[in-house]
Amino acid sequence: MIRSDIIRGHLDSIVLRLIFEEDRYGYEISKEISSRTEHRFQIKEATLYAVFQRLEKKELIESYYGSFSNGGKRKYYRITSLGKAFLKETAVEWKETKEIIDLFMEGLD
Amino acid sequence: MNKLNKHVNELFRGVPESEKKEKIIQEVLQNLEEKVMDLMEQGKSEEDAINKAIVDFGDIEDLKEELVEPQSVHKKDMTKINLAYSIWGSILIIALFVFINFYYTPHVIWFVYPTFVVLWWPLTLYFRWLKRR
Repeated sequence: MIRSDIIRGHLDSIVLRLIFEEDRYGYEISKEISSRTEHRFQIKEATLYAVFQRLEKKELIESYYGSFSNGGKRKYYRITSLGKAFLKETAVEWKETKEIIDLFMEGLD
Repeated sequence: MNKLNKHVNELFRGVPESEKKEKIIQEVLQNLEEKVMDLMEQGKSEEDAINKAIVDFGDIEDLKEELVEPQSVHKKDMTKINLAYSIWGSILIIALFVFINFYYTPHVIWFVYPTFVVLWWPLTLYFRWLKRR
């Protein structure tokens, strides 16, 4: 598995992106991250809840209780309009960052 | 599922009780239970599934940090109280000097001197209060 400290700073955006696509709940998000990265990256659930807390505090997402499932009521998250704006911003920022890092990391192998 | 319950409560033990904490524990448990179900469907025994779910969960240091509300720095504004105290105090002291002056030495007016000295006290606090506002 990939070293997670580089990804760490972008976890908020990763989670936000997944919630942006559709309303999701915790376990679904961690599953989605694992399957999309083909298990190369796995988010620790504990970290995931910290991300939820942070995003909710910044009012980028909001939560509501959804349908009953095996264990009880699922807590779903939906993105706010502020969250959408933030995500857009982050995407631009990331593109720029990537270009800069690429300048130094490409062509070494 | 009792083991899960126990483990999660253990994890959150250091966190001060709050409604928020309860909600998160509930959410965490719900999600973990679903994960355990999934793992069991994939052929794991219940015990293995629970153990894996617990290990995957990781430690909650980050989460704890988010949960502990930054102590609201509601430092009470003392300057106003201090000012009031100094005013009342100096009035009393000056009144005492005036009394002594007129009672014992009515022919010599000297209470003005200590009055000026004492007035520095409320004056200082008055400006400190102004600065604070």
